[in-house]
Amino acid sequence: MLLENFIEIKKTLAAIKGIEAQLSILALNSSEEEAQIALHEAMIEAGQIKHDIQKTVYTLERNKKS
Amino acid sequence: MTVFDVMYRSLIFIVILFIITKILGKKHISQLSLFEYITGITLGDIAGEVIMSKDMHIMHGITGLLVFSAVSYFSDYLTLKNRKLREIIEGKDTIIIQDGKILEEGLKKEKYSVEDLESLLRDKGIFKVKDVEYALLEPKGKLSVLLKKENQPLTAKDLGLNMPNEKEPQTVIMDGQIVYEALRKSGKNLEWLKTELEKLGTTIDQVFFAQIDTYGELSADLYQDQISIPNQNERQLLLAVIKRTQAELEMLSLQTEEPETQKIYSLNADKMKAIQIKIEPYLRE
Repeated sequence: MLLENFIEIKKTLAAIKGIEAQLSILALNSSEEEAQIALHEAMIEAGQIKHDIQKTVYTLERNKKS
Repeated sequence: MTVFDVMYRSLIFIVILFIITKILGKKHISQLSLFEYITGITLGDIAGEVIMSKDMHIMHGITGLLVFSAVSYFSDYLTLKNRKLREIIEGKDTIIIQDGKILEEGLKKEKYSVEDLESLLRDKGIFKVKDVEYALLEPKGKLSVLLKKENQPLTAKDLGLNMPNEKEPQTVIMDGQIVYEALRKSGKNLEWLKTELEKLGTTIDQVFFAQIDTYGELSADLYQDQISIPNQNERQLLLAVIKRTQAELEMLSLQTEEPETQKIYSLNADKMKAIQIKIEPYLRE
């Protein structure tokens, strides 16, 4: 695994975390119920993506050390 | 009759007319029906007459006002209960154009000439009678027009666009004063307002007017018009970030050799695409 690639993944992970947080803020700030629901669901889905990528990062880190 | 006389008569009738219009309510100000129209004119006329002429007794004027407003009030009450009565007192509408054809009997009945009809249509920006599907004269003499479908303005629904609904904006700062009721209605508090204004680079005492929209975004107008505040486009920014991240995930899946990891990336790229499609309507300006 290239080091450059690894940094790329970490950056993407950070962006996903940002998206999740922003979606959460928007969902809380919205006054229209339909928008609230859609944004909240999107936040949960972004959380799942974050989880997946996080796991990949851990695996890559472990492989790198060994 | 001295100037002083006119002054105190005016003051008396201002108070009385004020009270009567408050009691009769909004419906009378809009003068929707024939009866309200007559009442409106007569009330003003009686008051004016009594104020300006010496021979009129103030009590007579007040009696006239009270009788007129009382009858009007009760007719309002009765017409609410009975449809037949409503037709007689408030008047009925007359159909003037149906299926795109002018009904001459309707025009004759209401004593409107074709020129009058044309003028009323032009008033609504319609120059071709052919464009009209249906038109009727309201009891008050106003023309209401339904255009043929092809001539109606295009709506999002016509285009099959899914437009998210938006709530009414809440005005939270008016004349530099915080409107706490509106703030509560939109579920925000003073702290939130302060933080948002800070984000815009301003403070409460500099703001003349501010509103919160459906998505909790604050837009403010400052006392000093030379200072421009940054345009808030957090939602569009978020959409851009989502698109970029989705592209990055796809890129990663192409760069990775291990099939296991590659699968995770492409799967999540698809998921991100799904999120993007789902919330795009809410993020567009």
